[in-house]
Amino acid sequence: MTIKERGYTHWDGELRDGRFPWWPITRMGIKLTFKRRFFKLFFGLTLMPALVWLVGIYISERLEDFKFMMEGETDFLNVNPLYFKTYFTNEFLLFMVVMIMVFSGAGLISDDLRHNALQLYFARPLKKRDYLTGKAAVIFFFLLILTLVPGVVFILFKMIFAGNFQFFVSYPWLILSVVAYSLLLTTFFAFYTLLMSSVGKNRRYVSILIFGVYFFSDIFSAIFREIFRSQYFFLLSIKTNLQQIGAVLFRQRTPFNIPWFYSLLVIVAICLFAAYLLKRKVRGVEIIK
Amino acid sequence: MLIRCLLVEKEGQGSGDHQVTAVIQTQNLSKWYGNVLGLNDVTLEIEAGITGILGPNGAGKSTFLKLITGQIKSNIGSVTIDGQRVWNNFSLFSKIGFCPEQDSFFEEMTGWQFLTSLLRLYHFSTAEIEEKADKALEIVELTEDKHRAVRSYSRGMRQRLKVAQSIAHDPAIIILDEPLNGLDPLGRRKIIRLIKEYKGEGRTIVVSSHVLPEIEAMTNQIILIHQGKIFAQGDIHYIRDLIETHPHIISIKCSDPRQLAQKFIQHDFVLKVNFDQKKGSLLVETNNRDKFFGLLPVLFVENRIEVEEITSPDDNLQAVFDYLIGK
Repeated sequence: MTIKERGYTHWDGELRDGRFPWWPITRMGIKLTFKRRFFKLFFGLTLMPALVWLVGIYISERLEDFKFMMEGETDFLNVNPLYFKTYFTNEFLLFMVVMIMVFSGAGLISDDLRHNALQLYFARPLKKRDYLTGKAAVIFFFLLILTLVPGVVFILFKMIFAGNFQFFVSYPWLILSVVAYSLLLTTFFAFYTLLMSSVGKNRRYVSILIFGVYFFSDIFSAIFREIFRSQYFFLLSIKTNLQQIGAVLFRQRTPFNIPWFYSLLVIVAICLFAAYLLKRKVRGVEIIK
Repeated sequence: MLIRCLLVEKEGQGSGDHQVTAVIQTQNLSKWYGNVLGLNDVTLEIEAGITGILGPNGAGKSTFLKLITGQIKSNIGSVTIDGQRVWNNFSLFSKIGFCPEQDSFFEEMTGWQFLTSLLRLYHFSTAEIEEKADKALEIVELTEDKHRAVRSYSRGMRQRLKVAQSIAHDPAIIILDEPLNGLDPLGRRKIIRLIKEYKGEGRTIVVSSHVLPEIEAMTNQIILIHQGKIFAQGDIHYIRDLIETHPHIISIKCSDPRQLAQKFIQHDFVLKVNFDQKKGSLLVETNNRDKFFGLLPVLFVENRIEVEEITSPDDNLQAVFDYLIGK
């Protein structure tokens, strides 16, 4: 038998399977976002509404002490599910969410496309699913800080300021509403942002797209409503759909006269469409010359 | 025409303890992109050591490398590494290092950050990551520049950093797609030396290039690929011999082409002489380049002919391929 001249050294490494293979992607995404100019300042600003609402909770428990400041109506300081719904579906918060997406989400995939980095990821022990999970987790990180964390903090501080568990006993389902709405909002924006980010290689272009699609959906909704005089055109607006579902989850009256599950269907459809496109767009680089 | 060269093998001294089996095997591997055929029915075996994939641009080299690194899925056929299927076998990717042809950097990161962020994907501990990143940067001689942003790196440094990311996790199989592209001679020498050192450690290295001397400087084992087909595999000397004996055209611009033609035509290794009226040059076709280039300076000196330019229009890989496939 012929013997080849070369010797083969057996590889003594390990074929490792990490428990959270997506974590390094998330970690890098969060780190790079915080490195962006003005992001820390901006992120601090996005937490302002939460601070205002928290102060509101404090004042609601000390109405007598703050009487000198209050003139007339103090109903808005009633801490109840409506108070929470107002925080979670107010336009300013949704605007801040979109801005956070512009800062932290626009470059998530587009930067990798621009730098041809997908081939570096997929030549490593990383599945496409892990890659997308890692990227989505960056969005979850920022948006849950803006939604879930304040929601839980509001409930906790309401009980701390009141010195009893009455609030929790009165609305035991509220914590579930907070979790459900936060997850829904975050999941939707994760799909939405990743889809936009996978559309182009230019971060600025993607930023405009994230911002533009959200706001133009609202503008087109208003235009079509005026032209066709139909409430169903509310479904064209991303903001309106989220507000509708938010109202239902916090057991409040829906702000618009359309069935809430239509809004849910629109949101789910956008997520499914995004998942389908992401599956097609995020793949190994194919060479055609 | 499919030419399969015999692998150069040495008879072993012992009883066969060191018998080598193929590390990478492909079976009827085919890949197409719409109507474009990227790779066509490739069946081959690659063993430990350095193997050069040689072919002109668009021959299917990168497609082949992406298939064996499991980045794209073949339409037909299979790839195995150490007997395991590659496609969707993600844990297997731990033992593969891939250096892509195109630049793939996060420009805002430093070289060190770039390496450590990629090493994290292998689930090493922080200490291991730092150690491996430092080691890889040292190997490619980028230690001094490791804290500079990648965007400020020169072409050669970028190429070396690309190689560093492919070797940092200490893989058994290293796939390098055109690693010498765009490098200056010094940079080339560095990378070639590095690749050769790695071979010495018993690893399997697959290097692609469209430049024959580049591959020649690294290995004797080559695979010739053209239009998505493998049509020669084996020892580079055999391929070299084919190149040496196939008719070559040499173009000479000189002060007296007619006299030179007269002298050349007397020799049997000169098959044909022609005049290119437009360029004013003499075209000589020979089947023995060594004898031809031995005679050339003698004729210049003896006949006092002044030379302006000597070129070999078909001394390139495409010409070799054309010859080998019988065009």
